[in-house]
Amino acid sequence: MKKYIIFILIAIVGWSLATTFKAIPFGADRRGDLNNPDKVAAYYLKESPETLQTANSITAIVVNFRGFDTLGEVTVLFLAATGLASILYRKEDDEEEKEASKKDVERVRLPSSSLVRTGAKILFPLILLLGIYVFVHGHLTPGGGFQGGAIIATGFLLMLITYKHFETNHNVMVWLESLAGLAFVAVGLYGLFVYGSFLQNTHSVGTLNDLISGGLIPLIYIFIGIKVGTELTNILDILLKIKKS
Amino acid sequence: MVISPVHYIVAPLLAAFAIPLLTKLYKDAARVVPGIVLFYNVIISFVLMQQVSQTGMISEVIAGWRPPWGINLVLTPFTAFLATMVSVLGFIIWLYGFRFKRTLKGGVVKHYEILQMMMVAGSIGVIITGDLFNMFVFIEIVGITAYSLTAFYRERNVAEAGFKYLLIGSLASTFLLLAILIIYTQTGTLNMAQIAERMAFVPQTMKITALIFFLIALGIEAEMFPLNGWAPDAYEQAPSPTSATFAAVVSIAGVYALVRVLFTLFDVSGVHNYLIVMGFVTMLIAEIAAIAQKNLKRMLAYSSIGQVGLVLIAFGIGSKLAVFGAIFLMLNHAVIKSLLFMTGSYFIYNADDKRLVGLNGMHKQLPYVSALFSLAAFAIVGFPPFSGFWSKFYILISASDQKMMYLIIGILLVTIIELVYYLRAVGRIYFAKEEMEAVAHKPSINALVAMSLLAIFIIVVGVYPDIITGYLNDAASALLDKAHYIQQILGSK
Repeated sequence: MKKYIIFILIAIVGWSLATTFKAIPFGADRRGDLNNPDKVAAYYLKESPETLQTANSITAIVVNFRGFDTLGEVTVLFLAATGLASILYRKEDDEEEKEASKKDVERVRLPSSSLVRTGAKILFPLILLLGIYVFVHGHLTPGGGFQGGAIIATGFLLMLITYKHFETNHNVMVWLESLAGLAFVAVGLYGLFVYGSFLQNTHSVGTLNDLISGGLIPLIYIFIGIKVGTELTNILDILLKIKKS
Repeated sequence: MVISPVHYIVAPLLAAFAIPLLTKLYKDAARVVPGIVLFYNVIISFVLMQQVSQTGMISEVIAGWRPPWGINLVLTPFTAFLATMVSVLGFIIWLYGFRFKRTLKGGVVKHYEILQMMMVAGSIGVIITGDLFNMFVFIEIVGITAYSLTAFYRERNVAEAGFKYLLIGSLASTFLLLAILIIYTQTGTLNMAQIAERMAFVPQTMKITALIFFLIALGIEAEMFPLNGWAPDAYEQAPSPTSATFAAVVSIAGVYALVRVLFTLFDVSGVHNYLIVMGFVTMLIAEIAAIAQKNLKRMLAYSSIGQVGLVLIAFGIGSKLAVFGAIFLMLNHAVIKSLLFMTGSYFIYNADDKRLVGLNGMHKQLPYVSALFSLAAFAIVGFPPFSGFWSKFYILISASDQKMMYLIIGILLVTIIELVYYLRAVGRIYFAKEEMEAVAHKPSINALVAMSLLAIFIIVVGVYPDIITGYLNDAASALLDKAHYIQQILGSK
């Protein structure tokens, strides 16, 4: 009986959702006149090449127009990593006990074949390079800090599951992560002190389509890339270290 | 350097990113730095609240794009008041929990303090933002920290509470995102003032779907019935300072978000009646559930839900006096309920029996804490010399102005239920036979200071409410005057 009621309720919700969303013309061009913008979409499309000199207008939106949201999202990721670390905290994380328990942590149950190990070794630097490329060119091509960071974390994941004793240098990770986050906020504060508005872009923004264009946008995306990469790697590291008990 | 609302967010963020580094240099940094940051937030709150009450609304532009193009932070008398309240309570709860888990080793304290600080900062963000999607981001920040802190201890029930909260909270986020999406497709903007302006042109079906989604999503955050199944478990299993934060900070932010969306964004009639009905059902069921509880923290959790129900009723009545009473009650609820959680956790900490029975005869071991607990219990029920009296009084008066006699009877009946279970707890502390040995854990000095500050506030406001009614009055007018809000934000183009 309960099951049927649930099905009926879901059907009602689904039907009302479907009718509502059917009425929204997704994908249609509804942004209106670019020169006399009424909706934010039109304004962003007009301003990102003109004022910000940024070829990828999505990046302009993410990092500049709505940069505060992005700072919030970076914080969400940071807090998720912190929360995960606090929930999965093990006594062995303390320095003294770390050495003693190192042997017990078995990340990979079966040894990987030499084919996988060699392949991972060759792929790892290339993946890192791709990740760095993606976030450095975030203002020119599709992608950016979050995507680049995720690619970098994939590289580390490959190494972590291939090699039994591959360890990320925890100290370096913490420093990189914290400094990248602080640098993001510092860039925001630079805008606040120099131009009077938090995260405001510089006035010398460069030329459209150059590597150095968009003012502070590429700089912020590099910080985001580093932060996301180290954070996701940390999360993977924590998750993979869970002992089988 | 000019103080601006953006400091509310930037200071905690800087601290949160820096704490992992600072703990390497100075071991106690994780415990000290959040206190400094939260105290800084208290100072800027008072400066900004003064500024708002003298010169009017502050709209802080982010990234140099004027609203509606960019994100803006808005301090009206209403949001400035709530932000001040949340900052002050955040700081007091930090002070209370300063020695929390001092015995544990480095790692966990660091995580705990970062999460606790960001939960307060995120709630301030929810309150001060003027952008709908930005509000979503801050609700996410509050959510993530709240799930992690709920699951902080390692126990089966704790994990269950955390997981339950995570599932329901994610559901809330999904619905909130869908609602924002619908609003965005219809109005082409995310700025709340502009949405409010354009809401009249949105088709009715879209409006209602979005409204329902908002009610589901924010109803979960604001602990509205029947969406509050997560709350008792989360309150019970979380560390005590976190439970106090849930009551004093997170639920306030949730109620604020709900009220902001309903009062500013939508102009649908009937929502107010819905709020009254749901508020009343929330209150009634929560208070009846509270009386059946055997565990003190769970009882307090249900009482919290009941208080939120009363706040929703008052917002539902919608007259200026009722909104005034509602904001007053939010303040009282935040202050008194955190005091109850703070004192209550000392009883639980010291009792062998974690149930209410464990309270028996506690006043001999913990005389000061017992006195504060009783004071808070009387205050929350609404005894006259305490601040809790005034908020209930104003809400009842506003209800009688609207000729809602059944509502008045209902609220008074529920108050009797409330009275029963609080008096039962107080009675156990003072009159029940003692069944336990000497107390091992006396409250530390910082916790005593924190609890005393709250108690002083309850008495001072109770005896002399005029010190805050001016601010509350401005806050109520600011919330109700939608046209002024829109004009102030968009008018300065």
